[in-house]
Amino acid sequence: MVAIDAPAPATSGRAGKPAGESAGSVSAHAKPAHALATPLREVGSFFAMALDTAVALATTRFAYREFVHQCWFVARVSILPGLLLTVPFSVIVTFILDILLSEIGAADLSGAGAALATLTQTGPITSVLVVGGAGATAMCADLGARTIREELDAMRVMGIDPIQRLVVPRVLALTLNAFLLNSIVCIAGVVGSYFFAVNVQHVTPGAFADSLTTLMGLSETVLCFLKAIMFGLAAGLIACYKGITVGGGPQGVGNAVNETVVYTFVALFVINVLVTGVGVGATK
Amino acid sequence: MSATTSTLRPKLSRAANDFADGWNRIGEQTAFYFKTIGLIPEAVVKYRVETLRQIAQMSLGVGALALMGGAVVIVAFLTFNAGALVGEQGFRSLSDIGVQALAGFLSAYINTRLAAPLIAAVGLAATIGAGATAQLGAMRINEEIDALEVIGVRAVAYLVSSRVVAGVAVVIPLYCVAAIATFLSTRSLIVFGYGQAAGIYDHYFNTFLQPSDLLWSFMQATLMGTAVMLVHTYYGFHASGGPAGVGEATGRAVRASLVVTVSITLASALAIYGASGNFHLSE
Repeated sequence: MVAIDAPAPATSGRAGKPAGESAGSVSAHAKPAHALATPLREVGSFFAMALDTAVALATTRFAYREFVHQCWFVARVSILPGLLLTVPFSVIVTFILDILLSEIGAADLSGAGAALATLTQTGPITSVLVVGGAGATAMCADLGARTIREELDAMRVMGIDPIQRLVVPRVLALTLNAFLLNSIVCIAGVVGSYFFAVNVQHVTPGAFADSLTTLMGLSETVLCFLKAIMFGLAAGLIACYKGITVGGGPQGVGNAVNETVVYTFVALFVINVLVTGVGVGATK
Repeated sequence: MSATTSTLRPKLSRAANDFADGWNRIGEQTAFYFKTIGLIPEAVVKYRVETLRQIAQMSLGVGALALMGGAVVIVAFLTFNAGALVGEQGFRSLSDIGVQALAGFLSAYINTRLAAPLIAAVGLAATIGAGATAQLGAMRINEEIDALEVIGVRAVAYLVSSRVVAGVAVVIPLYCVAAIATFLSTRSLIVFGYGQAAGIYDHYFNTFLQPSDLLWSFMQATLMGTAVMLVHTYYGFHASGGPAGVGEATGRAVRASLVVTVSITLASALAIYGASGNFHLSE
């Protein structure tokens, strides 16, 4: 079983069945042994592709041009949704936290609460949602379309390795963009919270700004950006894997994008819980 | 379409056309949403079997997602993790100021008002929403929707309104699972992970859990379910451009519905809890 070539036809054969039908038939997994083997094979081939990507990154020539193109592509599809998602997300968190703070007579600490919530949780979570929901879906749709048009097979025939030419730059582009997006998301979150707290909940502006750094320091900020980098890497690998193993026409591409969203969210929440646990211990 | 207009000032006319297209798209979407909602009675009465079938399918998922247990398991998993985050971060912040005994209060307050509705919305958009876009988009590309209209079936009622009804029906049990998952995960983390006495946790949890908050958050979840289904069915129903178009429509729908659901959560939270927050710690 060579890393990526072997599972690809298997997937397309499996997903090819319900393509024509509108919905509903999950008849392909009748036998229990087969039902267990399919997810295992998926997981195995995902890790094989991740390994291939790591090897290709170290051993082959890096496709700079594609990397720059992809960076621009991801930035274009994710900056606007990122801002639109961050501002309401952090405002609602500030709203709920400030009710609590003013109830115990500590409304002056609103800035500390906003900074804590944004840097430790809402910032990274919103980055997840943007990177997974906007960047990774667009990337998977783009790669999936190329796979359906058999462009990847054509590349293999010409002796070009799709992992080196397409996957490595995409994964790196999403990682870099997650890192950069995280800063935009954090700044937009804190600024949104500031305006909401000052204008709607009548917190003193000076007190808000002054208490920003009460609970958050350099180590928390570094942890926040480390999280974002990990999210970007995981989302990029998942999006590329689902993109290059797509099969079965229009329904197949749609399902691949759907699965990308679900798998990235699941993976990213797991990463977030683990890293938060480690970080809470490490920065204590 | 827009290329046929005058080429006297290409940049200006292109900008004007883009603006007009965007404006028209908003109008089109609004019209589609009203049409869908208006046709809901017809879907429930005439296409009852189809609506029931959609409910069954959405709760358990299609294709590879069904292997993971469908929307129920995924939403439960996401909210379980969100609850664990609230526990981890909250316990640490509380013990910084020496009141870690209030961890149960934090779960009753933050999970009910914030974590459960927000994360459940994300789960809904990712599972049942994106699934509906992929299905409808594939039907549009395969010209199945045109075929339905040719044989005299009202496609919007049969395909879209039935899905919206099914989505809202599925949201309610799904949100029950989500709320229970957040409470359970915070409790088990605090009690088993950090070793707090279960009695202390339960006391503060029961004291501060307002049943009305829970009911309001159910209303938020229903609203979000409706919005997710409307946005996702619109993008699926109007997909174009071959197999690649279906993927693009799914991605675009996820982006749009995430923004819409978070905004709806914010607006409804402000409307429900008001500036004072309807919350009394000292009572």
